Amino acid sequence: MTDTERADVVWDAADLACGVLLLSLRGRMESMRPGQVLRLIAQDTGASEDLPAWCRLTGHTLVSAAPPVYMIRRKER
Amino acid sequence: MAARFCVNLTHSKDDPDRATVGFVLANAALGSGKETLVFLSIEGVRLANRGFAESIHEEGFPPLRELMDNFAKGGGTIYVCSPCFKKRKLDENNLVAGASIVGGAKLVEFLSDGNPCVSL
Repeated sequence: MTDTERADVVWDAADLACGVLLLSLRGRMESMRPGQVLRLIAQDTGASEDLPAWCRLTGHTLVSAAPPVYMIRRKER
Repeated sequence: MAARFCVNLTHSKDDPDRATVGFVLANAALGSGKETLVFLSIEGVRLANRGFAESIHEEGFPPLRELMDNFAKGGGTIYVCSPCFKKRKLDENNLVAGASIVGGAKLVEFLSDGNPCVSL
């Protein structure tokens, strides 16, 4: 099964970065149900460091990271 | 881990790059689940007046107005340094969303318990 098939939501964030990326990401995760998986495509160079940190901060799970593709599972609550 | 995060922003049109990055960073904190405050002081207080940020669009970033709108919509708080605001004779009846004019004690209170603050 491919990442796209496993994802409940797909978002191509293109070259959004830093706060612009993260604030929008927060909104998208909040609109998902607990346990759902987002397939995020983020081209910004800093995203490979920022997104794991963001997951640690927020409690969401970084399922996999293969830049520019990140699979993130929404936390339970 | 601290639940709060503060950005002390001291610039506006005098340094659009700093002003813009201040709100980008604030949005990163907000997006990361922190209760986030932007403290506008010195030249930064001009951003508290509606319309002032309209013409600030630093290359490589979204327009500052858009960053500020997203910050307010996301639940961010803006404190505006009262003496800095008064000194510049700005309009306290024309504040942007999420902004309130405060004295230093409000900032000190927000930063109590070791909450972090970065200055730009």
